[in-house]
Amino acid sequence: MALLAMEHLTAYRSMPVDGPAVLAEPGGKAAMPKVLLIEDDRETANEIMAELTERGYEVDWAATGIEGLDKARAGGVDAMIVDRLLPGMDGLTIIEAVRQAQIRTPVLVLSALGAVNDRVRGLRAGGDDYLTKPFAIVELVARIEALLRRPAESRDTVLRVGPLELDLLSRTAKRGERVVDLLPREFRLLEYMMRRKDQLLTRAMLFEEVWNYKFVPQSNLVDVHMGRLRRKVDMPDEPPMIHNVRGEGFILRAPA
Amino acid sequence: MSAAKGLFYVRLPEFVRTTTFRWTLVVSGAFSLCILLMFGFVLAQVYAYMTVDVDGLNAGIADNIVAKNALEARVERLDEYLHVDPHSVKVGGLFDAGGHRIAGNIETVPPELAPDAGPQLVSLVRVGPAGSERQTARAVARRLPDQSMLVIGRFDYEIAWFVHSVERALALGLVPALCLGLGAGAFLSIRAQRRVEEVNQKIQRIVAGELRERLPTRGTNDAFDKLAGLVNGMLDEIETLIRSVSGVGDDIAHDLRTPLTRVRVGLERARQNARSLDELRAAADQAIVGVDQCLAIITALLRIAEIEHSRRLAGFGRVDLADVVREVGDLYEPIAEDKHVALAVAAKEHAAVHGDRDLLLEAIANLVDNAVKFTPRGGRVEVSLHQSGHEAVVRVRDTGPGIAENDRDLVGRRFYRADKSRRCADGVGLGLSLVNAIVKLHGFRFNISGGPGCVAEIAGERAAA
Repeated sequence: MALLAMEHLTAYRSMPVDGPAVLAEPGGKAAMPKVLLIEDDRETANEIMAELTERGYEVDWAATGIEGLDKARAGGVDAMIVDRLLPGMDGLTIIEAVRQAQIRTPVLVLSALGAVNDRVRGLRAGGDDYLTKPFAIVELVARIEALLRRPAESRDTVLRVGPLELDLLSRTAKRGERVVDLLPREFRLLEYMMRRKDQLLTRAMLFEEVWNYKFVPQSNLVDVHMGRLRRKVDMPDEPPMIHNVRGEGFILRAPA
Repeated sequence: MSAAKGLFYVRLPEFVRTTTFRWTLVVSGAFSLCILLMFGFVLAQVYAYMTVDVDGLNAGIADNIVAKNALEARVERLDEYLHVDPHSVKVGGLFDAGGHRIAGNIETVPPELAPDAGPQLVSLVRVGPAGSERQTARAVARRLPDQSMLVIGRFDYEIAWFVHSVERALALGLVPALCLGLGAGAFLSIRAQRRVEEVNQKIQRIVAGELRERLPTRGTNDAFDKLAGLVNGMLDEIETLIRSVSGVGDDIAHDLRTPLTRVRVGLERARQNARSLDELRAAADQAIVGVDQCLAIITALLRIAEIEHSRRLAGFGRVDLADVVREVGDLYEPIAEDKHVALAVAAKEHAAVHGDRDLLLEAIANLVDNAVKFTPRGGRVEVSLHQSGHEAVVRVRDTGPGIAENDRDLVGRRFYRADKSRRCADGVGLGLSLVNAIVKLHGFRFNISGGPGCVAEIAGERAAA
């Protein structure tokens, strides 16, 4: 439990981060995103609920798999957090059942089983992301937001964030009139960030998604690569777009 | 029913139920049967031989007597023959046409004895100075031209005695042999049973946790000894493994205790001395770093265990090491540059191996990570791929402090770090163990040698083109 680093969170909360991923309803009215949490450990559940509620989410907690499955089927859920080790049942069974019922709600799997194979199994069962316990709660929040704001499969060949422009066909980047010369890996990193602008992207997320590696590097690889990208994107005289949230991750945001 | 059963139930001694004893019984039985058959055969052969011999002898004498012309000569010859008879086995008689005895020691012509037929076994009465006695004898009868009859015979004492001797020998030999067999069976079974019992007791103790116990051996090099030797070898291996595991446990405990102690001290001090929320936060941040370090250790350990226990199957395929090496180079180039370490990658040739791409990348990344970490500012790290015979060799060479020769074997052990004081480098000391586990899974070779600095090599057999 000590790992749900609450002190650490205050620091994060004080960072200039936009509120939760507010979903626009068809009527144009904004609603609080609803997260269904299926977790049997009350203490963990309380911490997660407190954190998410504070961030403006509506959290529905189910302590058992059956209850969780019922709530998921009832609908109205924007994202689910499912613990794998539930009493008498594997969380993956729930996910499979949910998917069989044609419910496409994004699911974040929580598990104490961190092995690569377990992760693969979790994602294959229909999970959208996989987080190994113990985790920092910022990591969980960042991933939930990423799931809620999953970029639509756009057919645009040019991505734009503020003055930044990324041409996916010619593989070129520009900030205003200035051409930004990027290496292939940096291009992919920037593309990933632009598709998820204004979101906190943790190191683990970047390493998994951009580099596609399954291992945890010993050195601060992501920081070093990000540092290079940053020096290319944000010139000293320009307002910064890539923000480093200390100890947690990075955010790409259009200059105010 | 049960009462009857109870009546007939005989409690056999323990050893009787052993396999050894049963086999001994079977072997003894077969052995006895063989002896019986052999004796029977010898007996029949000797009996036949002796009979033929006696019959030949009788016929010879009879013909010899018949060949004499005069009665007196015949009587004389017969008496002469009967006279030399130390064992009193010879019988003979000359009878006139009326059946009255003219000479010899047979009372009358045995009625069943047909003249001029072959030799026969007949019962006849021998008369002599010591009285008359009835005996069975092999005999021949000859009718002479004057209608008188000559009977020559020989008591079958010798044959009977011979048969009797053989029977006695059989009894004297077979019964002790059988007893000896059973005795040996019982002895062997009891001995085997004792050894099983001994082994059983030792095993019970080992199961109970006495890992130092070994199965008893007697230095006789028999099957039991060999088996015990094998099991003892296995136990040695298990003991070593368990000890090394517990050694690893100690290492883990130590490596976890250091950051945890720091965390604890930091938190304690902050709780007492912090004067502002910011100071408290700073202490908490420090604590989180420490806890993350512990987590990293645990994650790395679990990862090693995962690799060590996985079977090569799932992710295995054809991997071009040149790609992997270049990718690792790309990955670490910025880090090396930040540290002012030159990172040179030389992987021009393609070299495909059979393996798991992700794991090989992880292994090579770990080597490069280590090399960059331990190479001082201004140093150089070279990553190269070349082919040597059937093997593809990835070599990571650095200009760091290197590893002392004594320590090279230890490098693959968990938590090894050449300079224990150099904990400022933030590796968790498991990198090389991880590399070792991955290399082992692939059946590749991993070795570390010194140059100036440190040279780490992973060599694996190239996949067929």
